[in-house]
Amino acid sequence: MALNENEKINEIDVNELDCRDTLTFWEKFGNIFRSKSIWMLHYCTGCGAMELPPTMTSRFDMERIGMAPMATPRQADVLLITGYLSVKTLRRIIYTYEQMQNPKYVVGFGSCTLNGGVYYDSYAVISRLDYYLPVDLYIAGCMPRPEAVMSGFKKLMDKIKKGEAVGWKRYQKYYDWYKKNQIRALGEVYVKDEFHE
Amino acid sequence: MNSMNNIIEDIKTKFNPINTEIVKKNQIAIDLNNEEVHAVLSYLKSQGWKQLTILTCVDWIKENKFQLVYILMNWEKSITIQVRTKIDRDNPKFRTIINIYPGAEMYERDVHEFFGVTFEGNPNHDKELFLELWDDLPPMRKDFDPLAYSKKKFDVRDYKVDFIPKEGEAE
Repeated sequence: MALNENEKINEIDVNELDCRDTLTFWEKFGNIFRSKSIWMLHYCTGCGAMELPPTMTSRFDMERIGMAPMATPRQADVLLITGYLSVKTLRRIIYTYEQMQNPKYVVGFGSCTLNGGVYYDSYAVISRLDYYLPVDLYIAGCMPRPEAVMSGFKKLMDKIKKGEAVGWKRYQKYYDWYKKNQIRALGEVYVKDEFHE
Repeated sequence: MNSMNNIIEDIKTKFNPINTEIVKKNQIAIDLNNEEVHAVLSYLKSQGWKQLTILTCVDWIKENKFQLVYILMNWEKSITIQVRTKIDRDNPKFRTIINIYPGAEMYERDVHEFFGVTFEGNPNHDKELFLELWDDLPPMRKDFDPLAYSKKKFDVRDYKVDFIPKEGEAE
């Protein structure tokens, strides 16, 4: 089923906002150190989280490239969307992402965040993550093996060092566009929890 | 196998089931009229089938019926019984069983959310359970089109390149 032009989501040009030239000396300086010490938010949305225990523990050992898990969003830098993201989780993810401090980075994990993967026709799973959150890096695969995950993290570090990972700036600049897409998929971005009423 | 036949005979003498069958080892299915479901469920509960494992629903769209399936478990005999009944699909309504199995409250909310069956007597039957702010047909009905819904709500990623395998390449 093809959609009309006005029904489609207008894509934004991700290269339009090139922040590299406008970086000050201290920002460049800060980026180097940020890239050496990354805290990953310990939040798993889908089946892809299964690949993280071997990545974190002694077999591949994420800490040797300077990454470690962190339990609270306010103290984390990287938000991993591991695998399929259901509509119900997306509400919580938006809450979580907006709680995180700048600078913050989003990594889409697996083919479900790219185009829906095997859940492309599901009524409960979103089919493309970068409509709702600014994704800095995608790691393709279903699921990506820990080697691919490690290589993806290394790439993210390079991007941070060069000042290319500017998803959080994009989210501020195009906030209306992201909000519109979120409202279209979710109705309203408000978390109701029956058990805590 | 003998005890399974005894159970079926027992049910047949006390009630009028439409059909009974032995699905597989340790599993019996009983098809009932709508009126007898509550009587059979309370009788089975008194006989030791104390656990309601699940209440679920099947959409028979060609017959225009919904089939409610109550699956009961007896831990002493380790025999599972499916109690099944068919209700009208156009105006799906049934009486609640929370006075027999209180745990059915959540299952009835589940069936209401995914199939649209109304359970009379359950005070919370229309409260949302899994889906938040649902605005379409109940999604497990067979006339619901998930692909169209997904495209309407979430859009799809357009690929500028067509991946057409050339001759000799694996598809």
